[in-house]
Amino acid sequence: MKLGRTRAIKPFAAGSSNKAPIVAIFVTFALISAATIALSVTATKASLHRTDVIQVAARQRMLAERYLEEILLVRSGRQADPAYTAGVLSTSADALLEGGTVPEVNGDDDETSLPPADGNVLRAQFVQEQRLVDDLTATGEAVLRHRPMVNLPETADEHVSGLESIQRLRVLAALTSSIAFRAAQEIGRDDESNLNNLLTNQVLLGVGGLIVTLLLASGLLLTIRRQNAHFRSLALSSSDLVIVLGEGGCRYASRSVAALVGTSESDLHGSGLMDFVHEDDRALIEKVQSSGMPLEFSFRMLNRTGEWRHLEARVNDLRTDRNLRGVVINARDTTDRVQLEGQLTAQLQRDGFASRLGEALEMVDEEREAFNVVERAAVEISERTPMELLLSDSSRANLSRVASSPAIEAPGCPVRSPFSCVAVRRGTAVVFDSSESLNACPQLRGRPSGPCSAVCVPVSFMGRALGVLHTTGPEGQALPGEAVSQLSVLAGQAGARIGTVRAFEKTQLQASTDGLTGLVNRRTAEKDIRALMKAARPFAVAIADLDKFKQLNDTHGHEAGDRALRLFSQVVDRALRDNDVIARWGGEEFVIVLPELDRFEAVAVLERIREDLAAAHSGDTRRFTASFGVADSSQGDSMEELLSIADGGLYASKKAGRDRVTLGDSESAAQAKEAGRERAGAVAVTSEPPPDGNGVVAWRRGRASTHEAAYEEEPPPSGIQIR
Amino acid sequence: MPARVANGLRFLVVLWVIPAVALLSGCGSTGASAKTTPRVVGVAEKDFHISAPSTLKAGEYTLRVHNEGPTDHELIIAPSRTGSLPLRPDGLTVNEEAIEREEPGSLDPGAPGAVRDLTVTLKPGRYVLFCNMEGHYMAGMHTDLVVQ
Repeated sequence: MKLGRTRAIKPFAAGSSNKAPIVAIFVTFALISAATIALSVTATKASLHRTDVIQVAARQRMLAERYLEEILLVRSGRQADPAYTAGVLSTSADALLEGGTVPEVNGDDDETSLPPADGNVLRAQFVQEQRLVDDLTATGEAVLRHRPMVNLPETADEHVSGLESIQRLRVLAALTSSIAFRAAQEIGRDDESNLNNLLTNQVLLGVGGLIVTLLLASGLLLTIRRQNAHFRSLALSSSDLVIVLGEGGCRYASRSVAALVGTSESDLHGSGLMDFVHEDDRALIEKVQSSGMPLEFSFRMLNRTGEWRHLEARVNDLRTDRNLRGVVINARDTTDRVQLEGQLTAQLQRDGFASRLGEALEMVDEEREAFNVVERAAVEISERTPMELLLSDSSRANLSRVASSPAIEAPGCPVRSPFSCVAVRRGTAVVFDSSESLNACPQLRGRPSGPCSAVCVPVSFMGRALGVLHTTGPEGQALPGEAVSQLSVLAGQAGARIGTVRAFEKTQLQASTDGLTGLVNRRTAEKDIRALMKAARPFAVAIADLDKFKQLNDTHGHEAGDRALRLFSQVVDRALRDNDVIARWGGEEFVIVLPELDRFEAVAVLERIREDLAAAHSGDTRRFTASFGVADSSQGDSMEELLSIADGGLYASKKAGRDRVTLGDSESAAQAKEAGRERAGAVAVTSEPPPDGNGVVAWRRGRASTHEAAYEEEPPPSGIQIR
Repeated sequence: MPARVANGLRFLVVLWVIPAVALLSGCGSTGASAKTTPRVVGVAEKDFHISAPSTLKAGEYTLRVHNEGPTDHELIIAPSRTGSLPLRPDGLTVNEEAIEREEPGSLDPGAPGAVRDLTVTLKPGRYVLFCNMEGHYMAGMHTDLVVQ
């Protein structure tokens, strides 16, 4: 398989790859030393044994000759012990061949132990010696016993049978002696060659060990060199940035660092590196250099094109490493990622801002509240930026400041008309870096606060300009794009809401206003009365009704009736205070609410109105009068009750002849109710317009006109009448 | 990791094999040469006997002497009209000095197992081949040779 043959590059496997050769070197040394010592020890031991063997072997020669002498001595009648000598000869011959103990050579009673003979030649010689000793001693015994030399053994293949007995003994002794000598020589030669072998082996071992060690060492060196080459090429081609900080600043900066900042590696050494590090990050780098902490951090470096690159770094504290003595920083350029993250975060923030702004504006149902939201939102966008919202009035001709940054003085844009504003005209946000540049908005020039930058965002609703959101900043430092987009979001949403609120207010105003008289309608008045009652504020309430309005209408037409209604409204409106309320209740009937007054004070006001009305008639306006009924908040607990009492007063005024003011009470109220119910009941039951003209009016105009119908047919009732 | 170990082992094996081969080849070289001009005659010696042809034609011979042991033996060729040789006073060895001038050739004592060549020119006559190590002649290490 091809893969199998591929050798993996392992530049960082420092431990395992170098261990094998080193171990091999030590093992070689150990083996060679052990072998040398073992050889020496065995050689010395063998040598010691051989010395004994040589001595014993050599003694055989001497013993053979002595045996001959002793035989001859005994033969000549002297004292000798050839049998003992024969015994030693025989024992020694056996021991020399197969090993065993023999009497020691120096003649003491001690014994020497011999190893078995070793080597074919030597063993063959000892075997021959054994046989010769046997033949010698057999012959010697025959001589001693004077036996004839027949049937004597010739075990050693010697041919001595033809010899005379002493001659035969001498030859055998000589042969024994000769072979003993020869064997001793053989052993000696062995010893010598053993020693020579030992020397040779030791020299060979030494040389071999040296060669092996040298080969291993060179192999190791090659491996290390190859590893270094691998490592170097990896380090050089790596895009990772490697910086080593030590005493005196940067001690190493990889080629990749130099390439990033666009300088040479040597220029980065010492304090050179810091020139490229962002000012705010230098303290951090110094801390890393001195403490090796933190283990992970990020910093910025200026690249060759003058752009700040964000680097993410890991720290390896190798200050105690003798080879390095520094802090190693491995860094990666993460600028792209940081920027992407920044964009995402900003997007999220903007989305979050937009949704919170939307929610805030949703809760707004008045322009004033919307302005407040705009102010608070502006603070969120940029706390220290002066801001103002300039909005046009309903005529869309004049701009005025409706909101401004709460904590800082508003920028004070002097623009007066929406169409003088560049941003409004362009319909998009504009950014001016300097008020002094040629293409700056003329409104920015000559401000008391001096030159500035500005961001102006138009505020519009349904394509119609409402105004402008205006911010200023130091000259040359306009708000960043992020803030500008947030301002655009603010302007867009605020415009939408303010436009909606304005449209809503307009329709509300229309709905709550009587088109003919411009007065608020009955619902508004009811709301006001309820609000006063809820707040437990004292007030008086009056119901007014124009006298003989039906006749006026019938005689002079609806135009005249409408003019009368408008005149009455104007007269009353002029007479009232700001927080008094007059509402058209329906038909020719009005309700007047007078806060803080009791019914007696109210009567005075109403009398003045009656007089004003009388004075107001002039020209083509038909003369007419009005009747009033009054109640105050001390007379009842509910609006219905108070209105019913006031209605009673009105009923009484009508009964008493009209053009007057009457205080209502529960009795008159009951009478008015009774009269009204009869009329209303009649109308309701007949379901057809009754033949009576008043009935028709009552039907058409509802409850309000029933009084007129009722009291016109009846005589004035009793009641409290003023004037 | 296994690859690395295997490499290391291979490396070691190679390192050990190189000197081993060098040792073997250094010790194992032997050369063989043979002179083939004279006729070769085998002679075997052992305790205490010599095996050799009893008759040869006159001429040059290479005696290939094989010592079959177990001890050292020498080979001396001496003319012997009577078939016996003079002894030294000790009665154990041939008196070589007395016959030296007439010896066609001799080999010094050789170790057991040795094979040695002795080139001799033999004239017609009676010869004795013998070993003169102490007592060997007396113990039977001699043989007669007749050259015609």
